[in-house]
Amino acid sequence: MSFVTSNLGASKVLQAATRPRSLLRYLSTSSAALRPAMTPLLLRGQFQPTLAQQQRQEKQIRHSTQTQVREYSSRPADADHHHVRPKVTLATLRKLHKRNEPITVMTAHDFPTGTLVDKAGIDMTLVGDSLAMVALGYTSTSEITLEEMLHHCRAVSRGTRSSFLVADMPFGTYETNPDQAVSNAVRMIKEGKVEAVKLEGGKEMAPTIARLTQVGIPVLGHIGLTPQRQASLGGYKVQGKTVAKAKAMIDDALALQQAGCYAVVLEAVPAPVATHITNLLSIPTIGIGAGAGCSGQVLVQQDMLGLYGRVPRFCKTYRSLADDIVGALKEYSADVKSGTFPAEEHTYPMPQEELNRFMEFVGRQDDEAVNGNSSNAAAGHA
Amino acid sequence: MTAHDYPTGTLVDKAGIDMTLVGDSLAMVALGYTSTSEAVNNAVRMLKEGKVEAVKLEGGKEMAPTIAQLTKVGIPVLGHIGLTPQRQASLGGYKVQGKSVAKARAMIDDAIALQEAGCYAIVLEAVPAPVATHITNVLSIPTIGIGAGAGCSGQVLVQQDMLGLYGRVPRFCKTYRALADDIVGALKEFSADVKSRAFPADEHTYPMPQEELSRFLQFMSADKVVAEKARIADNQ
Repeated sequence: MSFVTSNLGASKVLQAATRPRSLLRYLSTSSAALRPAMTPLLLRGQFQPTLAQQQRQEKQIRHSTQTQVREYSSRPADADHHHVRPKVTLATLRKLHKRNEPITVMTAHDFPTGTLVDKAGIDMTLVGDSLAMVALGYTSTSEITLEEMLHHCRAVSRGTRSSFLVADMPFGTYETNPDQAVSNAVRMIKEGKVEAVKLEGGKEMAPTIARLTQVGIPVLGHIGLTPQRQASLGGYKVQGKTVAKAKAMIDDALALQQAGCYAVVLEAVPAPVATHITNLLSIPTIGIGAGAGCSGQVLVQQDMLGLYGRVPRFCKTYRSLADDIVGALKEYSADVKSGTFPAEEHTYPMPQEELNRFMEFVGRQDDEAVNGNSSNAAAGHA
Repeated sequence: MTAHDYPTGTLVDKAGIDMTLVGDSLAMVALGYTSTSEAVNNAVRMLKEGKVEAVKLEGGKEMAPTIAQLTKVGIPVLGHIGLTPQRQASLGGYKVQGKSVAKARAMIDDAIALQEAGCYAIVLEAVPAPVATHITNVLSIPTIGIGAGAGCSGQVLVQQDMLGLYGRVPRFCKTYRALADDIVGALKEFSADVKSRAFPADEHTYPMPQEELSRFLQFMSADKVVAEKARIADNQ
């Protein structure tokens, strides 16, 4: 459609006309002076909302002008919701995938890390069991328990408003049988307050995943280098480097899609294999060390911020925070040792009158101490 | 300096800080214990299961008997008076304490009682400097100040506050970095890289042995992809 515009106001309307919801809101807030000029454009048939569309739009405007908007029951209402981006849902992820816009995913493990990921506008937050190592200092991800995981999920959830929130099911909580997986996944959703769960495994996990998706629990699959199984894979090695292994991985991916996964994580897989899988699937792939052909990318926050130490090849470091923080702590230490900190501005004053009285009191205490000592001394010398 | 997990604890240690405090959320609740033995049991758990070396409790002379019991069984205790956050509601909010002579004198009595009960040091929080300095001079154990002036034997801050991670910080906290902004900036750079497909680049990606790659490329030639997709669509 081509539009002829004669002034800024009109062109705004025409832009808005391609987004019906904002058009009506614009009209309802625009000045009366502007309105008469716009109406002819509308009536010219450039934009004719159906009755159903109009009703939907009005409902959306009413909804958005209320101070309490509940998009998802575990998210507290935000008083100034105008500044919070729309909640990312599975529908959002599908839209991104459909228009070939890469999906961003980042890990978080507590309230501040979760808040920052949300603030940065990341599409999906993952409470990864990598936190076992990077946050808790365990030597492997297999050591973390469900209770620990739930604790971290809750903390991240308190900092998450818009990002879609998914969490790893810890090793040992889903492999025994589908019943076990369902009851633990339900705990993750109810007590952990996350929206979806991630499990590692290929076609052998398909029946379990099918059960979960059937009861309405969204599942993010994970194949390739699956850290919980690194021992049986012979270490943290790239997977799918041979045609045979690649074909097996393709079968796994298809099985996971069939079981109802909304997306699949591909970890440490050669790019051609990952790209091929991405093209075959109708659900998104989220890559980590799997090349730019995936539908999205995920990294571990501590790795990309340079907080943890040596990072894997596939991780780009955006900062060197470990060094930065140690530097800041050393500055604090030097300030304290030298008496520079705290300074005046860091200290609380006392009302002058009270201060005088207090100094008098202190003076009396000192006198008593001195007199006491002299009389003792006198007695001692006797 | 406070720490609450593995990385924050590691960094405090690396920076050569004298004492690490696993702060507030794990501090023992001074009120609500029906018996001293309950306090002892929980402190023992902190040491055995929490793997810390000492515990901090909030409260003044009224906590002295409990603290005496803990130190008697060999559990080191760090006292805490002044603005005690766990009791902020009864103190009328997060307000400076000891601003009047009467309150200051009560605080001095508290400090002496805690020393007598065996505390190895006492945290003074949000107290005017003259009062804190006087208490420091009167005691034979160290005072650790936070918002209590430079006359204390030591200082403590909350790591997230001094790194600018949390938000609005109290007056007494000096911010050494603005990490919240820095990290959001880094995350936004990652986001932009992903959206533009600038990340991952070649150096972030795993190669496939050339021979396998050739075979794989044959396998995945275009018409085969189309055929496979069609087959999948039919099956679903």
